[in-house]
Amino acid sequence: MGKKFLSIFVVTILLIAALLSGCSTKQNTASSNNNNKTNSVQKQDASKPVTLKLGMWSSSPAETKIVNDQLAAFKKKYPNINVQIETIVGDYMQKLQTEIAANVAPDVFYLDSMPAPQLMSSGVLEPLDDYIKKYNVDVNDFEPSLLSAFQWEGKTYGLPKDYNTLALFYNKDMFNAAGISEPPKTWEELKADAQKLTKNGVKGLVLSSDLARFEAFMLQNGGSIYKDGKVTLNLPENAQVLDFYTGLITKDKVADTPQNLGGGWNGDVFAAKKAAMAIEGGWMIPFLKDKAPNLNYGIAELPEGKQKATLAFTVAYVMNKNSKHKDEAFKLLEFLTGKEGQQFVVDSGLALPSRKSMEEGFRAKYPDRVAFIDGAAYSYPWQFGLLGTKVSDAANKASDSLIMKQAKNAQEALDNAQKQLGQ
Amino acid sequence: MRAHSISKKRYINEAISGYAFMLPFVISISAFIIGPLIYAFIISFKDFSYLNPSSSHWVGFKNYIGLLNDQTFKRALLNTTIYSLFVVPIQLFIALVLALVVDSDIKGKTFFRVAYYIPTVTSTVAVSVIFLYLFKADGLVNTILSKIGIHGQAWFNNVNFALPSIMIMAIWSSVGNYMVIFLAGLQDIPAELYEAAEVDGANKFQRFVKITLPLLRHVVFFNLVVSLIGTFQIFDQAYVVSGGSGGPLDATMTVVLDIYKTGFKDFNMGYASAMAFVLFLIILLLTLLQRLLFREEMY
Repeated sequence: MGKKFLSIFVVTILLIAALLSGCSTKQNTASSNNNNKTNSVQKQDASKPVTLKLGMWSSSPAETKIVNDQLAAFKKKYPNINVQIETIVGDYMQKLQTEIAANVAPDVFYLDSMPAPQLMSSGVLEPLDDYIKKYNVDVNDFEPSLLSAFQWEGKTYGLPKDYNTLALFYNKDMFNAAGISEPPKTWEELKADAQKLTKNGVKGLVLSSDLARFEAFMLQNGGSIYKDGKVTLNLPENAQVLDFYTGLITKDKVADTPQNLGGGWNGDVFAAKKAAMAIEGGWMIPFLKDKAPNLNYGIAELPEGKQKATLAFTVAYVMNKNSKHKDEAFKLLEFLTGKEGQQFVVDSGLALPSRKSMEEGFRAKYPDRVAFIDGAAYSYPWQFGLLGTKVSDAANKASDSLIMKQAKNAQEALDNAQKQLGQ
Repeated sequence: MRAHSISKKRYINEAISGYAFMLPFVISISAFIIGPLIYAFIISFKDFSYLNPSSSHWVGFKNYIGLLNDQTFKRALLNTTIYSLFVVPIQLFIALVLALVVDSDIKGKTFFRVAYYIPTVTSTVAVSVIFLYLFKADGLVNTILSKIGIHGQAWFNNVNFALPSIMIMAIWSSVGNYMVIFLAGLQDIPAELYEAAEVDGANKFQRFVKITLPLLRHVVFFNLVVSLIGTFQIFDQAYVVSGGSGGPLDATMTVVLDIYKTGFKDFNMGYASAMAFVLFLIILLLTLLQRLLFREEMY
């Protein structure tokens, strides 16, 4: 009997604990609702300290350091606003999505240009226009192509924190050995140089089968991928480019994919000196410093076709619509993307400052990296409206099918991709 | 009369304490498994995104009808079926052989038992990354092949070899799990049966076919079901090997990877839930079919 009593007792305790924990979350949400209502009153009371959550991912310790330094400077300026960093490890959008659904997303968070339209259109982000006016933020100082990635139906939802553009990395030693004095300026030169550089198991160029690389060439050729809300993958201008691009691999045999050259991405192959040229962004620099510290390389603007064009990969700070401290959140957002915050980006050299007024400082500090900044003026944001990665998936398949010789020509492959997208 | 009421009271008491013991489990399983399951079933009939749950609306069978014309989903189903057809029998066969080996009186059998089981406790992601290195263009496999004059390729980047490479990896990494279950089954078979058969003059093969296999039938059935469900749910290996894309050219696109991409990359949770229920239905049907096939001699 005693034993039985004991077991029932334990189970009851467990039960009560479970029920209580269920109740306490309910109480929490109730009190937070109250907070929401009294929020407007509290806002006026600036002396009261508030705590904001900042959502980010971290590609490297260097990136974490930038944000920490920025926040330390922010704390000096606004001692009453505490900022708590929430670093999301793993799949950022997956985690963020569930946090948004559960209403526990950070007040201010990173947002990549690609999924931005999805979030902007679904109304989970706070439009910033009123705050921009209220705090008199000079948005014209941002690179227009970067800012446009975070505008939707006439409203601005995010301020770009930094960006990177594509440029041509070339191995100076290999260029010297092949008697080439400067990096290629046109497609013809690119092909001719790659031909000269291809020998002894080394390819002239490493090319990934990725829209995030060959779209730059399509834009240079007067093509487009997504225009006025429509997918335009199968334009003849695009097909020409894809034939040229994959032809360098399959016909001319002066280039190959990173996978076929024993790497995971272009950086691996370029660092291992198995290719003389690679098309990548500024993220290559810390990678090469780590993996191939003695590599003698240069960075040039992309060779041009009918016109100059490159891709801009940018990330913005955006504000959660359900943030309880919107004014404070905007102050944080403005600081991080303002001149003071951007100075830390310039100093690190990891990415480019999104404000035009900060470019001079970057040029002076990193003269060998100006190709990225030069590209900004003619760059296009990496974004395809609400279709997002579906478009890049379809385009990558088209180029895969050409490289693996499963399709006759680029036009056919792109027609298929266009059809698959239901356009 | 009095005795009856006492036993009734006792019965109720026992029932209450029984249910009380079950309650924590029932609560947790309803909160974390059954609840989400029902919720997923409901949103599979909706146009639903976690980004904005309030704007979701009923679309009837639209998601399910859409699946009929979804080339990627069909390819994913085909890939998963092929994967399952190869992996399940090969894996169970090897597991049975290994179980027989480590069940016999060979020297150092504890070592072998551990060695065969280690891949199972290794994280599938870690295993996938190791295999990526083994199978890459200038990896170990190709280096060995080139010694005997075969020019290898980037295995995981080849339309024809990507899926088989994942199969090899899956068989290697999960065979130990089934081996252990077979081993438990083998040790359940009474030694007297073998002794009696030996006395009757049955040779090793006859003993295996007439005693081991029939008595192992329920273990085989269990392994078959678990293995089939496991193969139909393959995700992590395909995700790591293709970098989440299911490439090259959808060669490693599996149903669960497709669900993941649709739900978390394209923010289309309703459609992804519909896919998940189609997968659920397929697994359910296959399991019932197996039950039917094994029923006659199961007991």
